[in-house]
Amino acid sequence: MIEMRNINKRFDAVVALQDAGLTIRDGEIMALLGSNGSGKSTLIKILAGVYGANSGEILMDGKKVTINSGFDSKNLGIATAFQEMSLIPTMSVIDNMLLGKEPTKGPGFVDHSQAKAEVQALLDRFHIVCDLDDYVNTLMPSTQYLLELAKAIATKPKVLLLDEVTAALHADEVDTAFQILRELKAEGVGMVYVTHRMKEIYEICDRATIMRNGQTITEAPVSELSLNDVVYYMTGARIDQNVGSAVSEEYNTEGAELMFEAKDVRLFPRIKDISMKVYKGEIVGIGGLEGQGQSEFIRSVLGSYHFEEGTVMYDGKTVSFKNPSEAVNADIGFVSGDRSRESIFKDRTISENLFAGRAVRGALFAFLSSKMVDKFSAEAVEKYKIRIGSLAHAAKSLSGGNQQKLAVARWIASQPKLLLLDDPTKGIDVHSRQEIHEILKGCAAEGMTIIVTSSDTDELISLADRVYIFYDGRVSGEFAGQAKNNENISAAMMGITSGKEEA
Amino acid sequence: MAKTGIADTSSMTFGQKVKMFVNNNQAGVALILAALLYIITIICNPGSLNKTAFGNIILLTILLAIPAAGCTIVLIGGGLDFCVGAVMSATAVVTAQTMMGQNGHFIQTLALALLVGLLVGLANGITIVATGLPPMIVSMAICNVLTRLMYVFTGGSFAGQPSPALMQTVTARYLFGFVPNIVIYAVILFPLIFFILKFSRFGKQLYLIGNNETAARLTGVKVEKVKIISYIISGLLAAFAGVIGEAYIYGARMQAFDDYGYKALLAVIVGGTSFDGGVGSFEQTICGCLLMVLLSNWITTMQFSVPVQYIVNGAVLVALMALYNRSGAVRQ
Amino acid sequence: MQKIKDAFKRFYKQPAFTGFILFMIVLILNLIFEPPAKFFSLNYLNSLFVSNTPFLLVTLGQGILMLAGLLDCSIGMQVALVNVISIMTVQEWGIPIWMGWILAILGAIAASALIGALESAVGLPSFLCSYAMTTVIKGVNVLIMPIEQGKVPKAVYKVYHNPLGGIFPTAAIIFFAVLILLYLISRTKFWKHVYAVGGNRQNAYAAGINAVGTQMKASILKGVVVGIAGICLTLMSASGNPIQCEEYGMRSLAACIMGGMGWGGWGSIGCATFGGWFYVLISNFVYYLFTWLAKIIPGFKVSSYYNNLAADVIVFLGLLVTVITNKRQRKSLKQGINETLKQLSKEEEKEDK
Repeated sequence: MIEMRNINKRFDAVVALQDAGLTIRDGEIMALLGSNGSGKSTLIKILAGVYGANSGEILMDGKKVTINSGFDSKNLGIATAFQEMSLIPTMSVIDNMLLGKEPTKGPGFVDHSQAKAEVQALLDRFHIVCDLDDYVNTLMPSTQYLLELAKAIATKPKVLLLDEVTAALHADEVDTAFQILRELKAEGVGMVYVTHRMKEIYEICDRATIMRNGQTITEAPVSELSLNDVVYYMTGARIDQNVGSAVSEEYNTEGAELMFEAKDVRLFPRIKDISMKVYKGEIVGIGGLEGQGQSEFIRSVLGSYHFEEGTVMYDGKTVSFKNPSEAVNADIGFVSGDRSRESIFKDRTISENLFAGRAVRGALFAFLSSKMVDKFSAEAVEKYKIRIGSLAHAAKSLSGGNQQKLAVARWIASQPKLLLLDDPTKGIDVHSRQEIHEILKGCAAEGMTIIVTSSDTDELISLADRVYIFYDGRVSGEFAGQAKNNENISAAMMGITSGKEEA
Repeated sequence: MAKTGIADTSSMTFGQKVKMFVNNNQAGVALILAALLYIITIICNPGSLNKTAFGNIILLTILLAIPAAGCTIVLIGGGLDFCVGAVMSATAVVTAQTMMGQNGHFIQTLALALLVGLLVGLANGITIVATGLPPMIVSMAICNVLTRLMYVFTGGSFAGQPSPALMQTVTARYLFGFVPNIVIYAVILFPLIFFILKFSRFGKQLYLIGNNETAARLTGVKVEKVKIISYIISGLLAAFAGVIGEAYIYGARMQAFDDYGYKALLAVIVGGTSFDGGVGSFEQTICGCLLMVLLSNWITTMQFSVPVQYIVNGAVLVALMALYNRSGAVRQ
Repeated sequence: MQKIKDAFKRFYKQPAFTGFILFMIVLILNLIFEPPAKFFSLNYLNSLFVSNTPFLLVTLGQGILMLAGLLDCSIGMQVALVNVISIMTVQEWGIPIWMGWILAILGAIAASALIGALESAVGLPSFLCSYAMTTVIKGVNVLIMPIEQGKVPKAVYKVYHNPLGGIFPTAAIIFFAVLILLYLISRTKFWKHVYAVGGNRQNAYAAGINAVGTQMKASILKGVVVGIAGICLTLMSASGNPIQCEEYGMRSLAACIMGGMGWGGWGSIGCATFGGWFYVLISNFVYYLFTWLAKIIPGFKVSSYYNNLAADVIVFLGLLVTVITNKRQRKSLKQGINETLKQLSKEEEKEDK
């Protein structure tokens, strides 16, 4: 039983946690919820020993403990499975699994046979298929996430911290993971489960702690919290029922201009045979389980990857972009859901982040006055209601939702003909998500063509006019209007083809 | 109630505030340290407070600032140019040998020197971009090759001096009787550098690449092209600095400016440009250059013996790096 | 047959493969000038080891650091430090030679520990920090020994120069002894931690490993190796010089990279070994080449300037070559994944039928 009380943490001038608290009981799974910037990740990292709290106390079974390092955390019986994964990519699976607790014989020599046996047993329990000597960076992301989880459990912890571990797992892998979590629960292990997937909370968690702005707002059994309650505690506002669940009106494709078409494109290994059409002014959604080719498809259109076979038609011409620069110069924009790695320049000013779309097109040594740049950015901030301190602040000072609005505004302000988005609202709080949806719908109404991938079925239904579902590198379903519903989409995601079939 | 995510300084301790000031105003701290050093130098040797010495400081700062500008540009783009010292030494030799103390050869000298700078910049840029090897190793390897080439060409020693006209433009004290003419070069070059970094599209793309190369690429920046151009600019600037540097030292010495390589880099980092790229500016670098020059000045004034000079040089630089350390400890 | 194929495939994936290939190529190039009978003769091998063991050991030391995610440009100056301490302490204080050597090795350990602490605990950028420390150590060396001087008794250095018992080159024994020691260490827990810290320091820390402690231990181990290298150098030259071997820093770095070492967590002692030998043998080859060219091209003088130029051009070209060989390794990694996936999809298709 762990109790965190009055935890305060700041990073330079930014307050991350203010009098936050968390209680983990043995044999209980506690959900830890909060939007980006709520502090839940920081709180977990303090327990894991990665960060040090500025003040506050941590009690284990009633006794005060100090956690000054990852080593301390492990010694107390706490194991963590990190969202960003803590595996060493350049080392083998077996080395990673036993890192820090290698079985030894003699003067520190590693006992290889025992190591092998231990790790193989672990892999079997998780149904992971791989060679013990494979380097981790050669494995698929979902396998890596499972290994991350397995590694945490291998230490036979008393407390298990799980930071968004199911984000990249397929449905059956999630089932395996949950099964193991239930087994651990029966053994008396206390667990903290951080997730953005509301359905999972009701499936596996007993209680929920909700955080906002670095403070713990409430803690209650999951059975006493409705979805609306959860969102209310997380954001301080009730979700607008109408906007959130509105079904997009069917887009009439008759007489519309064909803006984009992919025919029989292929990219080994993820994309086997995809064909799709997108008309001007449409919002087309691409859905599916993780890793079915959506991400690779979008990026191949952009020119970051290249299709091996098939043709792509855009704006009346056959195209094959060699790099994103060519696509951008052809009036295409790209917004990634992986903000920190792929779209935000965290140390550059908000103004520069917004201007980036304009900075990449045009003469390399043209004169750009600061007045012009700031005017452009000020207009964008105003138009898209981005909450900022000042244009001169670094982008990292913004919350996740506002950062993503930055990325979207960057492109929309340049009025591209085709806007590509790869899971843009992943991990973003509900209100920012709604605002981004509204912006996108507004743009489509003005004639912008939009292709957006998403891992969230509800988002696909409410945002997109038509939805393609990818399964195993092929289109397993195309839905519009009434057919665009939860049942059809979920079935297609599993590969059960119904609705329009592609050859 | 403090809003998370937005900076709030009211509840910080004094120590935390000082730390934040130091981290965010490195150029200012560099200037403060520079001033302190100068004051200490004058206290130790009151005779050093005279117009000539003052003019010298200006001259050396500008001479260092030119190659440091190149280093700044490359570093902002996420690369690293260790070559500037070797390039300067090489073009110093070229200057002396082409001019041979006669007026009238300036155009050829400049062309030849800039050619050297261009070739080295191209070699650095293309190799680093195409191979993906760490820039420091590549630029060091290339500058070693350059140095060895110079030895082969000159046979180890050479004759020659810069032309009197060139020296006039660099070392003669025209303004106010003590400001050296080199300031004129600065007046021409510095605005150009500011333009490149602050007001050109190239500069904007450079900062984007340095701060997040993946995002820059996906946003449509031609990353390789911009990086190679940054190395070329650095090479050209270092080459030019070598020409006017030769006017300053007058002599015929191999590897005369080799130490400018890491002095420039140190000046850039001490001024506040991040080692990782994406953050920094030329005005910060100028402050760093001033600090480096006054540091050398102080060391010379203290008349340390040669080995002690070595030790003090190295130790002070390590101390400065520790003060401005950004990568930090493993745990926050 | 399959077993041999599998073993080869595993070796192909090893980081040391590139270094091994480069080493074999350059060995063959050498054999063009020195036929195997002469090359592999005791005399030749002995002199090869005698002159090059210091550099080879230094390369091993640099390799240890690189695996742990650090590097040290001043490693050459540390060799000189060992040299001057071992000579001056005996000369000025009259202590027995073995004591002077122990002090010298302790000096190397101290210098390595200091640099390790600056890079690991304080977190300074490795390259610049060690480059600055080169100047510091140079100054210390000159303070200890202001001008070149000193001697080593003939009886002592003879042991190094002449093969033991007329059969075993002493320098080779020292080299292989260090190699065996490092091999034993590579079987320990500590070594796995070194890879982890070098591969991803943050994650290693999260796994409960003492990152700073591991890097410090690696630095001290390297200090011991550098100490031994310095003693070998002293025996080889039988004199003292405070500012020699500065170029060992860059060259050992390049040698490790050419041997296939990556920047932290990727590579092995094998990489450092093959890389070091590659560098030694190619310098050999260039020397022979120039001497031969001087014979057939009238007016072509072999000067040290040309030799040095060639040495540094080789370093540069060697760096380029590694990229090609590394690309192949990365391709094979990628192919490995693709093949697995192909196999999986084939199995699925079979099941569907």
